[in-house]
Amino acid sequence: MRTGHFKESYGELVALTDSSVTRAWVGLLVVALLLLPLVAGNYGLSLATAAMITVVGAVGLNLLTGMTGLISVGQSGFLAIGAYTNALLLADYKWPLLASLPASGIVAGVLSLLVGVPSLRLKGLYLAITTLAFAFIVNHVILYAEGLTHGPNGVFLPNASLLGIDVSRDRPLYFLVLAVTILVVLAVLNIKRTRIGRAFLAIRDHDIAARVMGVDLVRYKLLAFVISSFLVGIAGALLSLQIRFVNVDVFGLILSIEALAVIILGGLGSTAGAILGAVFLSMLPELIRIAFSTFGSTQSVTYTTYVYEIRGIAYGVVIVVFLRFKPDGLIGLWRDVRRYWTNWPLAY
Amino acid sequence: MTDLLAIEDVTKRFGGLRAVGGVSFTVKAGSITSLIGPNGAGKTTLFNLISAVLRPTSGSIRFDGHEVTRLPTYALARLGMARTFQNLAVFKHETVVDNLLVGLHTRLRTDPISAAIFLGRARREEIQARERVEEIIEFLEIEDLRDKAVGTLSYGLQKRVELGRALAIGPKLLLLDEMVSGMNQEEREDIARFVLDLRDELGLTVLMVEHDMGIVMDISDHVCVMNHGEKIAEGPPAAVSVDPHVIEAYLGSRRAA
Repeated sequence: MRTGHFKESYGELVALTDSSVTRAWVGLLVVALLLLPLVAGNYGLSLATAAMITVVGAVGLNLLTGMTGLISVGQSGFLAIGAYTNALLLADYKWPLLASLPASGIVAGVLSLLVGVPSLRLKGLYLAITTLAFAFIVNHVILYAEGLTHGPNGVFLPNASLLGIDVSRDRPLYFLVLAVTILVVLAVLNIKRTRIGRAFLAIRDHDIAARVMGVDLVRYKLLAFVISSFLVGIAGALLSLQIRFVNVDVFGLILSIEALAVIILGGLGSTAGAILGAVFLSMLPELIRIAFSTFGSTQSVTYTTYVYEIRGIAYGVVIVVFLRFKPDGLIGLWRDVRRYWTNWPLAY
Repeated sequence: MTDLLAIEDVTKRFGGLRAVGGVSFTVKAGSITSLIGPNGAGKTTLFNLISAVLRPTSGSIRFDGHEVTRLPTYALARLGMARTFQNLAVFKHETVVDNLLVGLHTRLRTDPISAAIFLGRARREEIQARERVEEIIEFLEIEDLRDKAVGTLSYGLQKRVELGRALAIGPKLLLLDEMVSGMNQEEREDIARFVLDLRDELGLTVLMVEHDMGIVMDISDHVCVMNHGEKIAEGPPAAVSVDPHVIEAYLGSRRAA
């Protein structure tokens, strides 16, 4: 157990972490991520990029569903809006990436007000259904507004460059996504330790008490929607940069389910949990692929034939197992392990 | 003494049920006023009307010179009204410190952008908020519980955190809804002591709904009695306790028995 630990100023109380060990590990992780392109091949790098994009989206969704308690199954709609905004601005309107990337987030954030308004009256399952409907509406609008979105043909992204660097190549894209991910995680952690984050948590835990404490529910629920959708929109823009071709099929219902799976698996409400869940679920298909290939070539062929079915089953199994045995998610598992080793060899 | 809170002819109907009917009374600044009455008398409904959780069907409520009858709930905190709830309404997944910090919500200014950056003003503001919260923690003698999740504390301590959260608002008027129900003798005495300290040291005005007659008689300056949604008596504790209407409300009349 940590002892002999004193705070000498109030500034230390509001720091993100007071543990030098945590600080060292996070520093090490960032250095490792910066050095990753030196050791990983293109495939490994694109896996890591996809995982970090998932982290951005998951952290955004977690702010809404985990922190504020507003269940949204419609965030895949905002992912689509972000991806399409970025793709169209780059391809059709020749915007620079430096402008189109934030614009993707802003468009998603502004449109989220449309879903945010019903959320002022709806809670729980009712809100989930409303947001689900929204995701379908987004897909249909994209399909039928051909003049704007190219409809079913999708959008090919041109080679985009940022500050003179061509980010359509794997390495620059990796660094861009890494930078955005770090900024987003820091921003959300910061919001969580101010009155805004506390207002979100208060709304989740007891909305009447939150009102009596002076929290304007209308403003803060909408704010949660806007911030969350802004981040998800940014994730969509990054996704469009990675996949290079944007099409409605990418943003199906299964994506919203996956997104919920990520934050449940990670541990609802915890930013670290959302990160763990995103990384774990992004790597899961890869783990399954490796598992299949170790059992010989026939199994490998089975996997490639049924890759979507097997992935779907795996997500389902992971959600059920976690809800049944570890509802706190990976972050809960981590806390248990840490407590065990802190007290070891005593039981508690 | 001036009236901090004035309730005039307030009525609340839920469909055909008249929960509160034409109640008027005032709370003087710097006083401890108790609202008592048998179960179902409409005390908690009246509290919800005062704190704007519910809207009255008719009547008006004035607080500190403001007409607050039609204000949204969240606006009252800034005007300086704070309350606790009969059934615990703490944010149970958060720590004691975070619960108290929510109470400071209206005193803080941070906007989303500066919150995300957390440099300069946002950080300074958080540090000041922590200092303020430490004062409340010290006042309520819960120093050792700072970083515990409130849901893991005992009932009495959760109530104390809820009181602290209301104090963090920096209120002029504090509404306490059955603070001591479910508490043991020692916890009750602690709360009674806190309430007296609040009035004497911080100059707060307290309006409380209370079933514990010992506390009501000991610490209140003024008692208001309700039954069936109507005010049946008011006055100093000693006068109210011998009022025939009050005795009838609590014990029934001699003829009925």
